[in-house]
Amino acid sequence: MKEALELVCRVPAHPDSRCWFLAWSPGGGLLASCGGDRLVRLWGREGPGWSCRAVLGEGHQRTVRRVAWSPCGSYLASASFDATTCIWKKQEDGFECVTTLEGHENEVKSVAWAPSGTLLATCSRDKSVWVWEVDEEEEYECVSVLNSHTQDVKHVVWHPNQELLASASYDDTVKLYHEEEDDWVCCATLEGHESTVWSVAFDRSGERLASCSDDKTVRIWRRYKPGNEEGVACSGTDPTWKCVCNLSGYHSRTIYDVAWCHLTGALATACGDDAIRIFEESASSDPQQPTFSLAAHVPRAHSQDVNCVAWNPKEPGLLASCSDDGEIAFWKYQRPEVC
Amino acid sequence: FFPQISCQWYCSQKYETLDLTVYIQCNCRIKNEFDTLANAKILLSDCLACDNCMTSEEGARVFQQNQKELFRILNLNKKCDTSKHKVLAVSICPQSLPYFAAKFNLCVNDAAKRLCGFLKSLGVHYVFDTTIAADFSILESQREFVQRYQRRNQEEHALPMFASACPGWIRYAERVLTNLVTSHICTAKSPQQIMGSLVKGYFARQQVGNSDLFLPLYSSKKMGYCLLLFMEFTCALFCVPQNLSPDKIFHVIVAPCYDKKLEALREDFYTALYNSQEVDCVLTSGEIVQIMEQKNVSMKDVTEVAVDSLFDEIKEGDVVRHDGKRSDGYLEHIFKHAAKELFGMDVKEITYKALKNKDFQEVTLEKDGETVLRFAAAYGFRNIQNMVLKLKKGKFLYHFVEVLACPGGCLNGKGQAQTEDGKPDKALLNQMEEVYAAIPVRLPETNMHVQQMYQDWLEGMDSKKVQETLHTKYSAVNQTANNLDIKW
Repeated sequence: MKEALELVCRVPAHPDSRCWFLAWSPGGGLLASCGGDRLVRLWGREGPGWSCRAVLGEGHQRTVRRVAWSPCGSYLASASFDATTCIWKKQEDGFECVTTLEGHENEVKSVAWAPSGTLLATCSRDKSVWVWEVDEEEEYECVSVLNSHTQDVKHVVWHPNQELLASASYDDTVKLYHEEEDDWVCCATLEGHESTVWSVAFDRSGERLASCSDDKTVRIWRRYKPGNEEGVACSGTDPTWKCVCNLSGYHSRTIYDVAWCHLTGALATACGDDAIRIFEESASSDPQQPTFSLAAHVPRAHSQDVNCVAWNPKEPGLLASCSDDGEIAFWKYQRPEVC
Repeated sequence: FFPQISCQWYCSQKYETLDLTVYIQCNCRIKNEFDTLANAKILLSDCLACDNCMTSEEGARVFQQNQKELFRILNLNKKCDTSKHKVLAVSICPQSLPYFAAKFNLCVNDAAKRLCGFLKSLGVHYVFDTTIAADFSILESQREFVQRYQRRNQEEHALPMFASACPGWIRYAERVLTNLVTSHICTAKSPQQIMGSLVKGYFARQQVGNSDLFLPLYSSKKMGYCLLLFMEFTCALFCVPQNLSPDKIFHVIVAPCYDKKLEALREDFYTALYNSQEVDCVLTSGEIVQIMEQKNVSMKDVTEVAVDSLFDEIKEGDVVRHDGKRSDGYLEHIFKHAAKELFGMDVKEITYKALKNKDFQEVTLEKDGETVLRFAAAYGFRNIQNMVLKLKKGKFLYHFVEVLACPGGCLNGKGQAQTEDGKPDKALLNQMEEVYAAIPVRLPETNMHVQQMYQDWLEGMDSKKVQETLHTKYSAVNQTANNLDIKW
């Protein structure tokens, strides 16, 4: 099974620090990384390996926990434990911090850009999720503060093509939000995980959502609209998100990240047991009860916790991962023939 | 309704926040008592995101303000030890009444009288309406605005002026925002705290001495209500009025939100001499309904009793309100007053212009084609945020902002009209807004009692006593860093 995921190269991206998160640019040519050294670095291909193209410093006073590219690729947002989010704009000679979004009471844990590029979401240890709107003059305004979670919010992610936002929290739930009248409201709470939910990822269609947790499971949720043929109950006009698959028994520690490849459908996980695992959906499985099988497993992918896995949006099978050991690893994945 | 405060410890392998060496390397994260408080819905308005700024002592004291506290006082009044007896006064906020009216399908005057009847049946001695305190608060805010406007060129922080009535907003400004913001907050006390001064300062002085004489009888169940009234009447007739010390009055406020509990604890509202707060306990409208449910009492069956006033035998008439849609109407009153005082213009109707969302509205005054006054109503946390961001960037256009922490204003306070899952009951809220809008408006300037009190009790409009009694100070509090290690 091991040959399904092959190491391409390793880079000491944030030496003597943790590397927290990776984000591919929409074109797939650049990889942004962030870490405990308060820096954001951009990586580009050079020969067989990858080299640092830019360092985005002096934006943050504490750990940079997450980075996100705008859909146009011209902006990069970085979320930091210093309670701010910086917006970096691509200039001729690198990136410049053009705006700092303040307002969260404490550590900002995640940031994500909506597919339209006009909305941005942030979340924090202060339990809140904020939605920001940017206008033509690059002015950011807070359009909503959502206090649905009762604990630290770890992660926010947008639906791939709708204005639907998902958040994962230390309160063991995933929540979904949409706009109603002139404010955002929580429209669904996904309950089932028995401990902190660390990350969520939509599949390409946006009809399904994968969540990973401290309870060592990955759950797959499927959207059922009111009046669905399967007879899944919905309240009012809001769809129900039902857990259709629970991947348990594969991971031995907390799962920190899950990434659903929009090109191939492969599901990768980053785990506190230092391993990377890749799951494939069985082609013959029932969509209402899909089965996933372990297609690749690299037990010692890193020397410490794996914090993030990221599929390249343009090159099928190119996976990047990063770890508490400060390194980034690039992998080539090939779906095994018998799977 | 008194959930246990408990500390639970949870362990996790991941502690993200350890990028600074000052943090103790510990694998544990704590779910502390405020999780329990949050579950009990006692937190700064949801919109204020987090309750980190409450110390554990404050948390406990906020928590203490519940129905049990009211019953503790009621029970003490029934005991023989007259030294522990207290005069029990309850003041009701005008934003609470529409909730009782809409919830029980009553007209607002009936709701007020029945609520009064219910409270008196429990053993409460006096039931007041806080509208008179809002009169004072508005009058003082109006005058302060005009003064600030006139000083605007000499004094950097004179404008904009922010309203000071909402305790959620004040708390946030003091704990999180800096002096950049707090220096702009109007120094007039909120209606709640002015009511505290009126009850413990003014009303107490009117009371007969040695009230202990009639209190045990008063609360005795066997005594008929008529006889009680007779007792009170004779006391008023034959006893010489003298000071009742503030600690002999227990003052309860019925309010639409929980944040007012925290406001009642403010140190500037504490009289050390008597170890007495101006407001001893704040109960939300919802908590009053809980008492009714517990006692199995229906509002429909309660006898109507006229609401008391602060002035001897006079009873309150029909309920009146201030201008404005869902709160005490600071924006409208100050706007009209300023237009008149500063520009000699009489404004009859105010036109709101909704900007980004329905909770951010603008009102402007134009003179000779020029905008001379620009006011805004900013409700809810998102609008407060944008306002502060603009203020920091120096792009703030407004002269006055009515800031309220709750979207939709005070009627939407978290202490009333909430569904079981903690969301606003929209249908009920709509009804409440209709009820509130139908209440006749009375201008604070036309309240003769208020004018009389300025003269007799406050020693004029510009006296030192006005400053002491009706104003306070707001300033940024240096937050201790220790809340950082509370939870992960």
